[in-house]
Amino acid sequence: MERRVVITQGSAITPVGHTKDEIVKSLVEGISGVKELRPDDLLSDFIHCGVFGTVDYPIAYDFKRLYRKTMGPVAYYACQVAKEVLEASGLNNDFITSGRLGVAFGSTHGSPTVQRQIYKSFFSQSRSSFSSIGAVDYLKSMVHTTAVNITKMFGITGRVISSSTACTTSSQSIGFGYETIKYGMQDAMLCGGADEYDTTTVAVFDNLLACSTEFNDTPHLTPRPFDKQRDGLVVSEGAGALLLEEFEFAKKRGATILAEIIGFSCNNNGGDLILPNMDGITATIKLGLKDAEISADSVDFVSAHATGTKMGDVIEAQAMGRVYGDSPKVSGFKSYMGHTMGSCGAIETLITTYMMEEGFIAPTLNLENIDQRCAMINHTRELSESDIRIAAIQNFAFGGVNTCLIIKKI
Amino acid sequence: MTRDEITSEIIRIFRDQFEIERPGLDDDLRDAHEFDSIDAIELLREIEIMLGSELTQAEKKNAMEIRTINDILDYIELLSAARTTGNTIPN
Repeated sequence: MERRVVITQGSAITPVGHTKDEIVKSLVEGISGVKELRPDDLLSDFIHCGVFGTVDYPIAYDFKRLYRKTMGPVAYYACQVAKEVLEASGLNNDFITSGRLGVAFGSTHGSPTVQRQIYKSFFSQSRSSFSSIGAVDYLKSMVHTTAVNITKMFGITGRVISSSTACTTSSQSIGFGYETIKYGMQDAMLCGGADEYDTTTVAVFDNLLACSTEFNDTPHLTPRPFDKQRDGLVVSEGAGALLLEEFEFAKKRGATILAEIIGFSCNNNGGDLILPNMDGITATIKLGLKDAEISADSVDFVSAHATGTKMGDVIEAQAMGRVYGDSPKVSGFKSYMGHTMGSCGAIETLITTYMMEEGFIAPTLNLENIDQRCAMINHTRELSESDIRIAAIQNFAFGGVNTCLIIKKI
Repeated sequence: MTRDEITSEIIRIFRDQFEIERPGLDDDLRDAHEFDSIDAIELLREIEIMLGSELTQAEKKNAMEIRTINDILDYIELLSAARTTGNTIPN
């Protein structure tokens, strides 16, 4: 059994806004959400990178204590976008709790804020156990905390998938959710990812010389995907959720359809865990097109992973050039908000549906002088009115994990 | 500590830690206030801090039958009495 799968709702918390209007405004006006890194009394003094894609606006959470007690910051983000999606979906509680709705949601490493508290207890001088780890600390910090706090809050009883593959976490959530519906195992899936403010992740990339460090005094000018002056990625925070439904089910109930998912691929480079891999990425894109049963020239727009690292952007551009030539427009949305890690795939997919709906393509921010090694593709340099019919969203992660999602306007 | 003092402290913990305002002394905490097993574990930690003494595994397991604030007060009085004689509550 193969069924059509559509995206019917979405919500995101990003460094460039929370509502669709706020996010679109930032894209249209070229507003960056990258800010100065906040001091944290642990790592920030030792990190060379001084910038972070920051969610610095208030979010009006109204979760009952029953739910809050097992939530760390990452679960707050996840549950908020999930709540907004479910509330806007019009799905009734009988369906939500029926077992026909599942959840595919993850994060890079659960809640590092809570993990820090746990480690503090481990390494404190006190040998007394009664002032140490709380009963709920594990539930707040565990790697699938986002997915199961969502199931708890809404009484969801269907499948749970909680990928944790760093930068491909939420693109896998969407892809695996798509396959779950396509092959008849669920009728709807709530998919996405989240990551909270965390300097540990910055330290990891900083240590590998992969973070931007030259724009600490002008945060809005970095990251700079595909630009000659790019000097690395910028870690950021956020969350994104999408509701996927079986097409006939969505149509029958009169749901708004944002896009159809027509293809998904996921593979591994089969080797190094860090270095970008041309053959691996090329294969991912080709596998995505094959799954969608379309040719490369059918794709109007590509949302590139485009982190702004020295080699990652070159390899990605060249892989796109191999497959697409210079046909589809290409933009990298991390240029606006940094790398939202586990949520980037969901946020970038949602942004692509916003552009499909509103008829525009946002340019890659800070792309002033294209690196000639990245010049073989059709970079979006200016805001343009465009009717995107088919778009590809590609993401790549540490560990050599690659994904490509293909969506279509219907 | 007197029972009144223990009561005040427990009511404060319920308000500050569990956001439960003025629970009735005989309320079924689970039914009336959604106080579940995770909360019970958190409460035991607060009791350890209150008594300044760790609870044994057996003492913690005994606490899992507790349903009301009065049960909690009885439990703490038992613990307190055992500690003054240098003992723990037997199984």
